[in-house]
Amino acid sequence: MSRELSELYRSLAADADARDLGLPDVLRHQADRRARFRAAGGTLAVALVVVGAVIGAQAVAVAPPPVPAPVGTAASPSASPSASPSASPSPSATGAAPSPPVSPTTPGRSPGTTTTPPGGTGTQPPTTPTRIPDRAFFALAPANQTGIAPQFRDEAVLPGLCGAAIGNAQVVHRRTRLLIYKLPQNPGGEHVPDGSYMHSITIYRAGHADDVLKELRQAVRDCPEQGWPGASSVRSRQRLLPDSGFGNESVLFEMRSAGQDVNGDPTGVEDVRLIRVIRVGDVVTVLWEQGWENTSSQRAQVDADSRRAVAAIRRWLG
Amino acid sequence: MVRDAQSFDDFYRSTTRRMMRYGYAVVGDYTEAQDLVQEAYARAWRQWGRLSAHPAPEAWLRLVVARLATDRWRRLRGLRGALRLAGPPPPVSPPNEDSVLLVRALRQVPATHRRALALHYLLDMPVEEIAQEIDVPVGTVKSWLSRGRARLAALLPDLVVVELEATDVA
Repeated sequence: MSRELSELYRSLAADADARDLGLPDVLRHQADRRARFRAAGGTLAVALVVVGAVIGAQAVAVAPPPVPAPVGTAASPSASPSASPSASPSPSATGAAPSPPVSPTTPGRSPGTTTTPPGGTGTQPPTTPTRIPDRAFFALAPANQTGIAPQFRDEAVLPGLCGAAIGNAQVVHRRTRLLIYKLPQNPGGEHVPDGSYMHSITIYRAGHADDVLKELRQAVRDCPEQGWPGASSVRSRQRLLPDSGFGNESVLFEMRSAGQDVNGDPTGVEDVRLIRVIRVGDVVTVLWEQGWENTSSQRAQVDADSRRAVAAIRRWLG
Repeated sequence: MVRDAQSFDDFYRSTTRRMMRYGYAVVGDYTEAQDLVQEAYARAWRQWGRLSAHPAPEAWLRLVVARLATDRWRRLRGLRGALRLAGPPPPVSPPNEDSVLLVRALRQVPATHRRALALHYLLDMPVEEIAQEIDVPVGTVKSWLSRGRARLAALLPDLVVVELEATDVA
């Protein structure tokens, strides 16, 4: 007997309708109980961070000044998720601090893979393959792992920027994955994750990868404000942030949108998204931090994961 | 922030049926879909002060369900407590054959395609609205629908793939 797809979906809907999801007041009660449990866990984590910071400060006061690590090394101390005050996310570390607009310091066009990368962060000209293996994608630090496997999917690699089309030409190969993480102080288990990345790697034809970053900088400058898709009342503000030390060159920008209360008035709390685009030879990787349930991007975490992303790509390219 | 329980309960009652249909079609397992949808509503309640002013709270819920569906690792034990509080589920009749066949086939379809198909066939959303909700280009949605249908047709040999309309899949 032949059937149409709509008939099958109607059968599925009928099956779904046959079951009851429960009463809303029971669900509200349970949700509130879990929220109180999470809040208690969060308070304990903050207390531990504060105690660690005090002990760390005392240790620094008697120790000789540390020697700064080379810029761009994967094992840079600031990249490792530790309990140090600079690396531990805090309300002040949410997103990025306001700063003046970035001056155009983009390196000139690199003629494909034969150019010596500027900035001294990579001295070996990478050879560019035509396919992207799994090993090109970085693994989260153990403290950031949730146990949720990354999922490769066909999604947009960059947020909309006033309709600008960026980086979709001259593509040799692209893979995109959703990567879910937790912050180091989150114990995991029943606790929900703290953020997610839409992480992509794209191979461009020789000499075109730097055009992508150039177009992106211009697109961010040309789109200082826009409405969210499907929610025109919510405005998002975009701006470039100073960035260096990632790959051959990189672009970092933020998207900020104001939270609203029940009356539609600003709460003063902003949702901040950080997006970093990094070029390594003819390869471009994008870490688009998308948060988790309205959490804001943490700059220290995005920096640490960006370094891991570059290190994985360099290992892959050889 | 003040949360209005009455407005949440009204929202819950008016949307649970659609959400469960959507969850079932996207997740491919009824019990798991039930957990995910309940988790999504629990999160909605926690943020209800802000979410109640959201222009499309149901779309927000669907986004949460889709995200949770990628998270097969967490078994959402906490939310199972809600089921326990509500008592044992009432007996239900076994699923019909068409539904079982479709769900079995959907498990072999990529998650993005399942999502687009569910929005289209269960919620009657046009391609443009699906693209807006998922935040991808219209062409991508068309491609997902087309490929999803082709995959289902291959998995369900006696499925009739009807002629596509201009506003549907090019």
